[in-house]
Amino acid sequence: MNLYVCIKQVPDTETKIKLNADSTGIDPAGIKWIMSPYDEFAVEEALRLKEKNAGSTVTVVSAGPDRAVESLRTALAMGADNAIHVELPDTADSNMTAKALANTLKKEANVDLIYFGKEAIDDGAAQVPQLTAAYFGVPSVTVVFGIEYNGTTLKCKREIEGGSYELVEVSTPAVIAGTKGLNEPRYATLPNIMKAKKKEVKAVKLADIGVSTSDQKIKNKNIQLPPPKQAGKKIDGDAPAQAHALAQALRNEAKVI
Amino acid sequence: MTWETFAFLIVAGFAFGVSGKRFYTLFKLLKAQKGKVPPFTDLAGRVKTTIVNVLFQKAVLQDRWIGIAHTAIFWGFIIISIGTVEQFLMTLVKTASFEFIGETPYSILIWCQDFFTAAVLLGVLHAAYRRFFVKPKNLGQSKDANYVLLFTGGLMVSIFFMNAFHVLGSDPWFQTSFFISRPLSKVFGAMGFDQETNHHLYTFFKWVHMSIVLGFAVYIPGSKHLHIVAAGPNTFLKKLNRPKGMTTINFEDETNTQYGVAKIDESSWKDTLDLYSCTECGRCQNLCPAWNTEKPLSPKNLIIDLKKNLVRNKAAILAGKSDEVTPVIDDHVTDDVIWACTSCRACEIACPVFIEHTDKIYDIRRNLVMMESRFPTEVQAVFKNMETNGSPWAFSPTERANWTQGLDVKTMAEVGSANDLDVLLWVGCAGSYDDRNKSVLKSFVSLLNKAQVKFAILGTEETCTGDAARRIGNEYLYQTLAKMNIETLNRYSVKRIVTACPHCFNTLKNEYKDLGGEYEVIHHSQFIAKMINEGKLKPTKERNETITFHDSCYLGRWNNVYEQPRAVLQSVPKVNLVEMRQNHDQGLCCGAGGGRMWMEEHIGSRINVKRSEQAIETNATTVATSCPFCITMISDGMKTKEMTDKIQVKDIAEIMDEAT
Repeated sequence: MNLYVCIKQVPDTETKIKLNADSTGIDPAGIKWIMSPYDEFAVEEALRLKEKNAGSTVTVVSAGPDRAVESLRTALAMGADNAIHVELPDTADSNMTAKALANTLKKEANVDLIYFGKEAIDDGAAQVPQLTAAYFGVPSVTVVFGIEYNGTTLKCKREIEGGSYELVEVSTPAVIAGTKGLNEPRYATLPNIMKAKKKEVKAVKLADIGVSTSDQKIKNKNIQLPPPKQAGKKIDGDAPAQAHALAQALRNEAKVI
Repeated sequence: MTWETFAFLIVAGFAFGVSGKRFYTLFKLLKAQKGKVPPFTDLAGRVKTTIVNVLFQKAVLQDRWIGIAHTAIFWGFIIISIGTVEQFLMTLVKTASFEFIGETPYSILIWCQDFFTAAVLLGVLHAAYRRFFVKPKNLGQSKDANYVLLFTGGLMVSIFFMNAFHVLGSDPWFQTSFFISRPLSKVFGAMGFDQETNHHLYTFFKWVHMSIVLGFAVYIPGSKHLHIVAAGPNTFLKKLNRPKGMTTINFEDETNTQYGVAKIDESSWKDTLDLYSCTECGRCQNLCPAWNTEKPLSPKNLIIDLKKNLVRNKAAILAGKSDEVTPVIDDHVTDDVIWACTSCRACEIACPVFIEHTDKIYDIRRNLVMMESRFPTEVQAVFKNMETNGSPWAFSPTERANWTQGLDVKTMAEVGSANDLDVLLWVGCAGSYDDRNKSVLKSFVSLLNKAQVKFAILGTEETCTGDAARRIGNEYLYQTLAKMNIETLNRYSVKRIVTACPHCFNTLKNEYKDLGGEYEVIHHSQFIAKMINEGKLKPTKERNETITFHDSCYLGRWNNVYEQPRAVLQSVPKVNLVEMRQNHDQGLCCGAGGGRMWMEEHIGSRINVKRSEQAIETNATTVATSCPFCITMISDGMKTKEMTDKIQVKDIAEIMDEAT
């Protein structure tokens, strides 16, 4: 099987986000970059399927600036066979990213499955998997936390509201966007880390795949950090008085009722 | 040729042949081991430790009564062996007596042999009494041990019988030197045998004795009694540079494809000598925090099980068929055994033959982590935090120096070069991010200011030393972090470092050397003690309380710092310093070393609670610590015991800051 995993490099979860000078994005200075944690589930799932099906290959694809190669190496160290880096500006939106990924995949000989994380933890858009599926012309199942493989059909458990899940059957090729619970991503072994350092990462330019900045539909005009968290307020008194004060505060201060 | 010579040639030839072959196999097995051994230097130090610990039995005598019994047996073994050699030679050639050394020396030799025969017999009786009646838990049941006692006892009894009948049968000129055998001969003489019968009985007991000796020679290579051959060399070859760091793997060496030990033949020949040296006394197990809290790890069983693994794989190893050697992790040495170790080193301190248990565990961990990616799941987050944020805890490295807000603490970036400073303060991850330990650091900074010490910190340029990664087995991650720190430290020409964390202390002091970082590293307990001695700190405020001090393993057992923290506490007016049941090098670990700080403790009872109970027993109102992990663990223990309102847990820096 030819398995593909699309990953995104994002700031580490502990990063203290600062805005850039014109407030159109974040200031990259001092940021530690990691593979988006949901993408680790995707890589792990592909690796496990490969290990059960001899002769399969796992190719990781990332569209992003040059530093995204580091995250591709992380995936190679986990055990992926090949890596493709699609050169994409940091400012690209979901549409441009999805088109770049889909067009890159179209150049591949045979694509059986395309894995994603359900969303990247930086912008949290959760759009690229579905958009890629649409551009590539295959179905997609998102927020998947369990997969039963049965030849060319997959039974996917996907999270829905209310603590419940739906069971979706899909046939390959397809896009699967994984979430927590799908598996426990592995920690790379040292021999694989060493091998990953030497593996070639195939570079793809936007011009090669017919994508340009005109594919970017959304531009950030101005972004702001959320206001600092206010200190909590304790309401004293007996129960009726507390209830009264709470209702007042929700209506007059928080303006939610 | 007499019948005796003829019989002896056949029996001894056979016995020595079989014994020799068995020993040679052990030697070949040892030589076939693939692991690397660091070079052995300091011959003088080695000779000294061998004299002290082998000839004078210092380490054995740590446990007094059995130590004395062992010393008697050890010296007896040497002296009596001289007689046995003479006996063998005389059986071959009748005239080959050692009498040529002169009448008086020979009489003394005979006297000594009689004396040590009695001494060994008493030693064996004590050992047997202990094994069958006292039954200390660490000994366990062992047929092997029973045979050894029976053989040794049999040897001594046969010597006395042989000598007594020798006196009766041959009336030797030196018989007055038999100060025990001769009176015994009087008892036997009462039986009224004629001289010829007595002589035959002498010959009979001589053969009993020689048979046991030869039988023993055959038995020893397959027995724990092998220690009589292995323990001496093992003592000579022990790591003298304890306090020592772990061995550094060279990742540049591309011929190296196996990191750590997956199979027993990947360990080193010194590890094998360790296995040969174990005599299963169980002193290691007695002190082990894991074993004493019902974990599956016993350092003694680990060594026995590894030896069994080695013997089981003997054929494959000797045939050079590494792929047929079974993994070192088996039904006995389980993952849980390997992860239970806190690397407190109590086992190594206790071991009378200097087995280095922690090395075995580290090597097995290295394979599990780096080759197989197999470790407690909670550790993965720790590795990832260290990789991306340079700290086992999930904090942004940009916040590393936030604890200094409101304090006058300069960073190296502000100072420029360490040449203008007295010392660099290494804060460590706990001091940087953990609330409890931030206040320890604040107290220490306050002390540095009181003593007008010129210091600075690395601030956001500091990163985790990598100690925990290394102890857990992730040598690669350790070296990545260590190299970053060494680059930073050397860039600022840092020569002198003080730190409040014994783990950072040990790593910076003993382990960074191998990667190009040579510094004078001082633990804050030593630094404070020095400031007091120099009169820069004057503890004047009375404390009026009883304090007990909890030894950190990485300060105490790994680096031999026991007295300075106690001296600091005793310098405070009206402090009554009391010791816990286990203290100094016998101290019980808090449970957090060896990376255990970041692992769940879900088997058995909790080590920190056990240690807290020992502290509570002393009736102290403050437990003083000198390590960020210890303070966390003991504070937790006190919470579990609901003692937080009666006993406080404080770092010595806090206590000193309050007193000055």
